[in-house]
Amino acid sequence: MLWLSSIACNGNTHSFLNYPFMEQFLNDFEFIYHPVIDSNYSLKEIVSETIACDIMLIEGTISDDFKRADVLVVDIIKKYAKIVKKIVTVGTCATFGGIFKESDYENATGLHFDRNKPIDSFKNLLDKTISVSGCPVHPETLVNTLYAIKKSVDLQLDNFLRPKEFYAYTVHNGCTRNEYFEYKVDNHKYGELEGCMFYDHGCQAPFTHASCNKTLWNEVNSKTRAGMPCVGCTEPTFPKENLFNTKKNMGIPQDLPIGVGKRTYLTLAGITKAFTIDRLEKKLFDD
Amino acid sequence: MIELIEKIEGEAKLNFSFAGEEIDFVDIEFMTARNIEKILEGKSALDALVINPRVCGICGHAHLIATVKALEDCYENIEISKKAEIIRELTLTFELIQNHFKWFYLTMRPLFGKKQEVLKATYPTQLMAKAIAVFGGQYPHTSYAIVGGVVCDITEIDIIKIKHYIEETIKFFETNLVQADTKDFLVCDNVDKVLKKNGDLPDILREIKKKKYLDHGKSYDRFIAFGENSYFTKGKSHKTITTHNISIDYVKEQDNLNSLAKNVTYKDKYYEVGPLARAMINKVPLVKDSHRRYGDNIFSRIIARVCEIPQLLNHSKELLEKLDLSEPSYIEPNIDISQINASGESAVEAARGSLIHKVELENGIIKNYEIITPTQWNLGNGTRENLGVSQQAMVGLKDVKTAELVFKTFDVCSVCTTH
Ligand code: SF4
Ligand code: SF4
Repeated sequence: MLWLSSIACNGNTHSFLNYPFMEQFLNDFEFIYHPVIDSNYSLKEIVSETIACDIMLIEGTISDDFKRADVLVVDIIKKYAKIVKKIVTVGTCATFGGIFKESDYENATGLHFDRNKPIDSFKNLLDKTISVSGCPVHPETLVNTLYAIKKSVDLQLDNFLRPKEFYAYTVHNGCTRNEYFEYKVDNHKYGELEGCMFYDHGCQAPFTHASCNKTLWNEVNSKTRAGMPCVGCTEPTFPKENLFNTKKNMGIPQDLPIGVGKRTYLTLAGITKAFTIDRLEKKLFDD
Repeated sequence: MIELIEKIEGEAKLNFSFAGEEIDFVDIEFMTARNIEKILEGKSALDALVINPRVCGICGHAHLIATVKALEDCYENIEISKKAEIIRELTLTFELIQNHFKWFYLTMRPLFGKKQEVLKATYPTQLMAKAIAVFGGQYPHTSYAIVGGVVCDITEIDIIKIKHYIEETIKFFETNLVQADTKDFLVCDNVDKVLKKNGDLPDILREIKKKKYLDHGKSYDRFIAFGENSYFTKGKSHKTITTHNISIDYVKEQDNLNSLAKNVTYKDKYYEVGPLARAMINKVPLVKDSHRRYGDNIFSRIIARVCEIPQLLNHSKELLEKLDLSEPSYIEPNIDISQINASGESAVEAARGSLIHKVELENGIIKNYEIITPTQWNLGNGTRENLGVSQQAMVGLKDVKTAELVFKTFDVCSVCTTH
């Protein structure tokens, strides 16, 4: 594998280092180059020669004028794209442009998408690419995708080339605050175990595709379980603005859970508002 | 002679010039920058909490804590509970520890011809990441510290978990880094005692002596630290004199002609930041002994960084004891941030040294944001007449390989340096 880093913070690299079964992974895979892990080739050799490899991992936003070891990243990609069997765009920057789309580089985008718009530049590679978005990507999402590639599993992909295995879920799925969401108990205050953050604090989980609450982070937790609103980092829209606020139109959240229409939402809200569930109004540990 | 330095969270170019056998100047060039400061302009204040951890994948948490403190500094009155402060300090501490392990096992040891041991780096760093995740939901890239406190409400059970992560990391340190009881090690004030021990740290230290590297990596012997917390003291030290009366007002950032990294000075002088600086200011006995014998060389720099691990692990246990779970994690600020017109600044100690953030808000919108990273202090590209800290440390060496080793003892991070 070749791990190529474009305009990035290296967060995906370090997230990957949190993969719990690293020993097994390193027995099963070999890097011809990785930004942190020792490899047989230097970056200089990677860019000046063509070293045989099967998978190219790209981290970071891609731009026409960004270089690694004095060579344009787009040229490195073009060169290796010809010889690899698969390309994996690692993280939201490489997939959609992400945060560093906003930096000064020219035509900064993901490999196949500029936010959610398909782009032409690497169209010929579409069949080869699998995208694992996230800012950063969840290490298990990345590693298990790599195993699937190695085993030639025919992964089902969504419209953004993301394996459905991980991205068919929403982050909302599995959040410990779900009951508060269901009954519209929106009195969330930061620093508390209770309350849902969808109504006031900008939680994007109901319309964000990722398995953060199914495959927990660092094997222990998730943002929303801890009490931080999901900022939608796996989506092409990341980063939206005013992240800790829920945008509303006439009191209704502008972005509704996937598949829920405004009218349905209002009906639903009307019904759930009719409940006053004592248990959910109280602190969790109170009698 | 130009060397491409890689695996430093990006890359840099060192252009060495020789006078006879010796390096007489090194031009340090960082070639890429992402201009996070510009990305922040015009955004809502709180969005900085999400964007800034992305300055760096390895020390993003320090950027989060610096951000939240700079934003809070914009308030005339803001109340933060003791509990939230302790929790923030704990997670920042855990990040420092994971950084030190990664640096030692992934970067340092291979430079001494040892095989890179990825698992020895990842095992303890994963434990520390788990400890952060219990509070923050995930690591890296959480934004769990918000203006007014932290988002989590933890229970006694969480504390038990975190204690286990700490104890397990201490055990790892004791069986791998220095085979000694951490409690004895913490009060040790004699380098010779460490050199007699087994473990991956004494191994490297003995190698430095054997290879006659003891005069390598000396710089100005001038140190500074701005981030103050319950463990680190603010101050500066020159040779053996320490003063604590310093102010961010004298910190100056200057554009660099050759490199995208801006230089940073205090009262127009370059200072070293990082674990060695902190240990000199905090007067850590073992590091003081190393400094007394060998000065501000690579030996002292390495021992200071690695020895900060058990110090911080021990300190985090004490911090946990002080947590009062009945306090609130978050106290809503009395003014909504969208009404704030003010500027604020903060300094925290990140793994590589003092990190400074400055922000200017207009109706809660970011008008200006400035970040000064630790690596800017250490890796600044000075002139022949006025060399930067790491330049000074490389001048006089005879080959570029040793110079690269010296350069990397500063724990280079390219993404932070240019941000
Ligand atoms: S906090 Fe977010 S993830 Fe949790 S239940 Fe509410 S909307 Fe869903
Ligand atoms: S919870 Fe949301 S913001 Fe956090 S990692 Fe998952 S998708 Fe990204």
